[in-house]
Amino acid sequence: MTACASNRAVPLIAAEGLTKCFAKHTALRAVSLSVARGEVVAVIGPSGSGKSTLIRCLNGLLVPDAGTIRIDGAPVDMRQQRAWRAVRLRVGMVFQDCSLFPHLSVLQNITLAPVRTGRMRREQAAETARNLLARVQLADKADAYPAQLSGGQLQRVAIVRALAMAPEALLLDEPTSALDPEMIAEVLDVLRTLSREGMTMVIVTHEIGFAREAASRVIFMDQAEIVEQGAADAVLTAPREARTRTFLDKIL
Amino acid sequence: MQLIVENYILFGNGLAWTFGLAVLTLVFATVISLFVGIMSITRNRLLTVAARIYVEVFRDIPLLVSLFFIYFGAPLIGLPLDPFSAAVVTLSLWGGANGAEIVRGGFNAIPEHQRTSAAALGLKPWQIYWYVIAPQALLPIIPPFTGLFTLLVQSTSLAALIGVPELFRMAQIVVERTTIMEGYSPAFTIFGAILVVYYLISAALNALTSRLERAMQHRLKARGAADMGSVRRQAEESV
Repeated sequence: MTACASNRAVPLIAAEGLTKCFAKHTALRAVSLSVARGEVVAVIGPSGSGKSTLIRCLNGLLVPDAGTIRIDGAPVDMRQQRAWRAVRLRVGMVFQDCSLFPHLSVLQNITLAPVRTGRMRREQAAETARNLLARVQLADKADAYPAQLSGGQLQRVAIVRALAMAPEALLLDEPTSALDPEMIAEVLDVLRTLSREGMTMVIVTHEIGFAREAASRVIFMDQAEIVEQGAADAVLTAPREARTRTFLDKIL
Repeated sequence: MQLIVENYILFGNGLAWTFGLAVLTLVFATVISLFVGIMSITRNRLLTVAARIYVEVFRDIPLLVSLFFIYFGAPLIGLPLDPFSAAVVTLSLWGGANGAEIVRGGFNAIPEHQRTSAAALGLKPWQIYWYVIAPQALLPIIPPFTGLFTLLVQSTSLAALIGVPELFRMAQIVVERTTIMEGYSPAFTIFGAILVVYYLISAALNALTSRLERAMQHRLKARGAADMGSVRRQAEESV
């Protein structure tokens, strides 16, 4: 981290004027978002408000129709898949439906990308994977296949898989929404630990409690726009905007 | 029985032609299936439309009609084909069209999030297909594919109708010759024997298939997957 200290002022992810349209409907309307190193940004809002679109635009899984994205100050050439791949090597992602590869063991799931993208040699990747698995209490599951794991375990493996690439930031798209209630806690625990360790995260979530305690900033989105953002406590306890209040009243 | 023994050279030759036809057809049909099947799942509109047209044409025309069309049509475009080549070409194209649908079904059965999450890890498109999509798509299509193989082996008998001296044609010759020269028709016996031969070939292929399927089930069960039925059904439905 010391190497990055010099450019701490430059946001790690800086998106400006992101717009994304699907057919006739606008999913994202000129949204700007900047994430500093070590920041944990929670994105909340009703479904269909553009949260997932926003997070997917940040690593090019959806290519924005307009706007700019800078990673560590360097603009991303959004028409180039190669440029997006470079972004994805630095910014990991975890999805709602854990989407592990069912034909590979847990260990293979984790080491596939580090080995194939040339980040690490196989043995080194395996060692990293085992260490990370141990950190999420899944050391004994290295050789299991995804079908043998519970939802919460799958999601922890998915997080480990993203971490194995040693990303500078993590994007998490509703990581607990598809989980049974009793499994949500084990995943949130892992995320809490990561946030304490200074991992930069943008997390789309419905877990307001988690956002309140773990997020340094909360963004409320509605109808393709950022309606309000600020410190977690401020937005969640005393929202300025009526729409935010309505949303929070509904889900709390 | 005596007729068969007496004509063993004829039948042996016929069987050799049948095997030659079958082996070449299966190889070419597999290559075409993979090639066209993958063409049809690319994002290139030109490729998918070309694949679509090819598949539809061959699946919508009776195999026998295609066979005659190619055998009698090829000389008209200055490409005279001997009966054997015409049969190989037709059966391969027909098998390829049906196989391409199986391949396409196999790939389509893989949920989109597999591709997305592989992409999010920074893998290149070919790596995504090679390491993530293809292994999941191709394993479950092996059983329906061997089903197609059985069908193709049986269809080699159609080649008799354009004069390929394969097993069925040889049976016809023996029946006709005996009828003319001996004054009685051994049709039932001879064709009955041929039936048994085709049955044995197909049954052997099917037995191989079920063994393969059991081995795969076993492997998948070891991974804790419930069954591969759903993926397979999806692959089969497209046939």
